[in-house]
Amino acid sequence: MLDNSRPSEGIRFEELILDDRVHSTLYTDSEVFEAEMDSIFRNGWVFICHDSEIPKAGDFVRRNVGRDPVFAVRGRDGEISVIVNRCAHRGNIICQEERGNAKAFVCQYHGWAYDTKGGLVDVPYPAGFKGDFSCHGLERLAKVDSYQGFVFASFNPTVPSLGDHLGRATELIDRAVEMSPVGRINLSGGWVRHQLNCNWKMLPENDTDGYHVNFVHPSFAQAIRSNYDEAVLQDEESLKSEAKDWGNGHTELNFSPSYSRPLEWFGCAEDRYPSYSKALREAYGQEKGDKILLDGPPHAVIFPNLFLGEMNIVRFEPVAPGVCLHIHTPMYLEGVDDDVNQRILRQSEGALGPTAFLLADDSVIAERTQLALAGKGGWLDLSRGAEREVTDDNGVVVGHLTDETSNRGFWRHYKQVMQGPDQSSPTAAAAAA
Amino acid sequence: MVTIEERLRVEEFLFKEARLADESRYSEWEALAEDDMHYWVPAEAGQDPDDGRISILNDNRTRLATRIRQLNTGVRHAQVPPSRMCRIISNVEIETIADGEYFVRSNVVLYEYRIQADKEMEVWPARVEHKLRMRDGEMKMFSKHIHLLNSEGPVRGLSFII
Ligand code: FES
Ligand SMILES: [Fe+2]
Repeated sequence: MLDNSRPSEGIRFEELILDDRVHSTLYTDSEVFEAEMDSIFRNGWVFICHDSEIPKAGDFVRRNVGRDPVFAVRGRDGEISVIVNRCAHRGNIICQEERGNAKAFVCQYHGWAYDTKGGLVDVPYPAGFKGDFSCHGLERLAKVDSYQGFVFASFNPTVPSLGDHLGRATELIDRAVEMSPVGRINLSGGWVRHQLNCNWKMLPENDTDGYHVNFVHPSFAQAIRSNYDEAVLQDEESLKSEAKDWGNGHTELNFSPSYSRPLEWFGCAEDRYPSYSKALREAYGQEKGDKILLDGPPHAVIFPNLFLGEMNIVRFEPVAPGVCLHIHTPMYLEGVDDDVNQRILRQSEGALGPTAFLLADDSVIAERTQLALAGKGGWLDLSRGAEREVTDDNGVVVGHLTDETSNRGFWRHYKQVMQGPDQSSPTAAAAAA
Repeated sequence: MVTIEERLRVEEFLFKEARLADESRYSEWEALAEDDMHYWVPAEAGQDPDDGRISILNDNRTRLATRIRQLNTGVRHAQVPPSRMCRIISNVEIETIADGEYFVRSNVVLYEYRIQADKEMEVWPARVEHKLRMRDGEMKMFSKHIHLLNSEGPVRGLSFII
């Protein structure tokens, strides 16, 4: 059972998050951080891994859900369990390797052994063990579900379905996997763990902020002169890309309108990878194949911790109010020639991580922002473009690339989650009481 | 076995390369790199550069040139102002690969005073492998592999020349 005494009770989120601004204490306050760990990372859905990372029975990867150490493991029945990485006896770490394959997990402290579902199967010196094996299994996350191979989990047994949480944003995930002619991606390239000394919320915010590019990344544009400048480094009128709020905190920078030729998003001409183009058109038909080749992959955040970063997949991990990790891997495609995946890998190394042409600069700006928010702090503006954004037929709010439509969408959902059902829906609170 | 003379030339190169990197003299440092340069920081211990696993940095000569161009723009925020650095090089072991070509192992501890955001001292210990070549009487490098002890992370921003 979840604890009903919410740590967020004392925090007045309605006073800290207004439609056009948010207060800086949301990035610095340790009570806010604790409340987020509970309301967002334990009560809601969190991205864990992709099923291609653990294809065989017994395959596992270690992860953190908020700060809780877990591991995801595929059982003999093919189902993935997400298990708290803490021995049910005296709390030792059970799964010590970052990734691997195991038939069972044996604790190195006193030797309790667990199966791939977390069930206790053996206790050394059993005569002294008076407990019930079935009551001493590892703690499993109550809910595990996946969409297009993206595995999400929640500690909350009564969390609404993953489908409810993803809502319309399944379309963004579909677009990512449809970059592959067989509709499958493969995250077997390993992860780089980049630490930023800033609050974790600056990661989803900055990754879908289309306003900063001219100012944070001029060195990239000057050194490379790629398609990047056409997509983002133009005057206000001619910028055709969009900032989007898909609801439920899922946000996007849609660069597709700025592309005029196939594979422009990949930084090359279409004839560079003829078999890739051909395979996409054969798999999805001429019209949709053309559209995929022209539009490219999504650049979108799935609340709270997954970033579909074009041909990269990124996990956000909170560590402390002023520390977080931006963890990325190349989004390899199934059903394509190796040279396409090679290019994806090289681009991933170039764009993201500690040495990257882009993210190294974003990270220093985020760290300076965190410094500026120290102490009593003040308000951060979120108003840009509120009057000129429109809601499309699907209910997605669409703004100019440089507008704060995406970040307003993030904060609207954040406020709702942090306030909890007792504030946002009086009937639910009454029913619970 | 290399001669004392060869050892001196190799060590001289290592010290010079370290000083140019420490002082963020990007173009002078770049001039030490041959056309077949491979500049690499793997993300995992025991990683093979061709196994499809992601690296923290994996530059061929062309990408290294882009990296140096970016640093030279003066608006690479992550290095404005440049980190103040000091590397200590030790445990130098030298093998001859071919006539005038050397494989050099060293241990390096790099102290970095980060002054771009909060002022902090970061320490970067690494096992480093150089491949050097004597060409036209000058020592050049055609490979520098930096095996950070903490490559598996978390890793802070690393936008200087490592
Ligand atoms: S802590 Fe795991 S067996 Fe004792
Ligand atoms: Fe950026």
